[in-house]
Amino acid sequence: MRVVIAEDLALLRDGLTRLLEAHDFEVVAAVGDPEALSRALAEEDVDVAVVDVRMPPTFSNEGLVAALAARERRPGLPVVVLSQYVEQLYARELLSSGEGAIGYLLKDRVGNVPDFVDAVRQVARGATVLDPKVVSAMVSRLGGSGPVSRLTPREREVLSQMAQGRSNAGIAAALVVTENAVSKHINSIFGKLDLPTATDDNRRVLAVLEYLRTEESS
Amino acid sequence: MTAGQHPSRPGPRLRGPGRGAWPRGSGWGVWLVRQAALSVVVAVAVTLVWAQARPQYFWPRWVWFGLGVNLAVQYGVRWAVRKPRGRRGFALQLALSAVYVAIDVVSWALSGGGFFWPVFSTPVVAVALLAHAWWLQRRPPARERELAERVAALRRTRSGVLDVQAAELKRIERDLHDGAQARMVSLAMNLGLAEHLLSSKPEAVAPLLAEARATTLTALEELRTVMEGIQPPVLADRGLVGAVEAVALDLALPVRVEAEVPGRLEAPVESAVYFASAECLANVIKHSGATRAWVHLAHRAGTLTVVVGDDGSGGAQLGAGTGLTGVARRLEVFDGTLTVDSPPGGPTRVTMEVPCALSSPKTSPSSGTA
Repeated sequence: MRVVIAEDLALLRDGLTRLLEAHDFEVVAAVGDPEALSRALAEEDVDVAVVDVRMPPTFSNEGLVAALAARERRPGLPVVVLSQYVEQLYARELLSSGEGAIGYLLKDRVGNVPDFVDAVRQVARGATVLDPKVVSAMVSRLGGSGPVSRLTPREREVLSQMAQGRSNAGIAAALVVTENAVSKHINSIFGKLDLPTATDDNRRVLAVLEYLRTEESS
Repeated sequence: MTAGQHPSRPGPRLRGPGRGAWPRGSGWGVWLVRQAALSVVVAVAVTLVWAQARPQYFWPRWVWFGLGVNLAVQYGVRWAVRKPRGRRGFALQLALSAVYVAIDVVSWALSGGGFFWPVFSTPVVAVALLAHAWWLQRRPPARERELAERVAALRRTRSGVLDVQAAELKRIERDLHDGAQARMVSLAMNLGLAEHLLSSKPEAVAPLLAEARATTLTALEELRTVMEGIQPPVLADRGLVGAVEAVALDLALPVRVEAEVPGRLEAPVESAVYFASAECLANVIKHSGATRAWVHLAHRAGTLTVVVGDDGSGGAQLGAGTGLTGVARRLEVFDGTLTVDSPPGGPTRVTMEVPCALSSPKTSPSSGTA
């Protein structure tokens, strides 16, 4: 799997390169600024880009902007955006930049190597992976009223897990229940929220996120 | 610099120079010059008329006198009203008194002298002037009082700022010391221990490393909290409006944010208004029992206005331990004001106004200020 890494701090750039190479990724370019990222994405055939939000010249959100621009040039380009802090605002911008193939994670998550590598692989395959912090904020915001308040605590946990982009097996492992129980919860959630049932994992995540976004703003 | 121009006055507490102004533009000056020219023409004309007949009595002097009085009165009033506010009244009296005494003396002279009767009127005018001067020096002029008030406000806000800054620095230092720094120490110990155990007791290393990793995550979380308190990254990235939107998104309550702020504010103002808005929204959550809230931000005519409203139970007031007092003090540093309109039963509207400049408009979220 061919990956481009954009991260301005050399220490972290080298760390990410080492980490991904150790997990059979081919790092075709590791760059430190948005221009070099654009060049790399234009020149190389890339399966996924891992991009830091904060980059030169102003060290604000150049990485995010570069990622959005790259997805505009090449719709559906899988991008994992890493940041020292997560904002729902940015999550929404990334989500509305096209269907799926988006990851938005705290840099802390890199510490959990298997999960992180799995997230990059999933995004490269077109899935959506959001940081649990973003998702829990979205879900808890809706917790007080509306259909979400009719969910049981367990169902709310499952909803959060779904919104983070986990598969049934992943949810089952995370919550230490059987996959069967997970599908039951999911059917119940989709019933209570009146969502169309979808078999495909990615479609399901997008449906849940779309629900969380539109419910909130209404 | 013309006599009518005041030095520029900072802040909203002092009124602008145009407020309640007398007509003292250049128009009057031009008009006066024309009148003077016309008066000369009239004076020459009547003198020529007199010269045709040449009666014994040189009556044109009374026409000259009348024309001169007109010009002198107008010139005196114009001179007086162009004085700074506060000294204007006295100047007016002075000018009119001078004209009056001059009229007395000249008419005494024109009517052929004799007993110098202006000796009765002149002292009265002089005493009135002295009384006015005495009254003025007893009571400092309005502008001086305004300046004194402003100095007091500046002294108060300056010491307030220093107190707040010192307390903030102390809090940050303590948070770092007790939080991230302590975690780093424990991390170093765990890693040192793991290194030591690697050869002798390798099976004990894995839990130590797991613990080390958990410690780094906690340290990161704590660092993030500290940084949020200093300057939320989203504020630097997106400016006031973006940061308020971000706060609104994180609240467990629907918040509508509407903004007409076509540019970035100066960083200190941006930060103060951001924390003020965040505090107001936090109050909505904590106290109001509202089901929805809204924030309107607008920058018009050099003033940023932020209104935070909710449909809660109302009854919020300044100084009722709601943190609004702190917000007001924070804004006062920038000559900003905070007003609370919160009748019992609601709704609540907190209005913040801060005079400030706007930098060039941002065209896209990306063009951060370098």
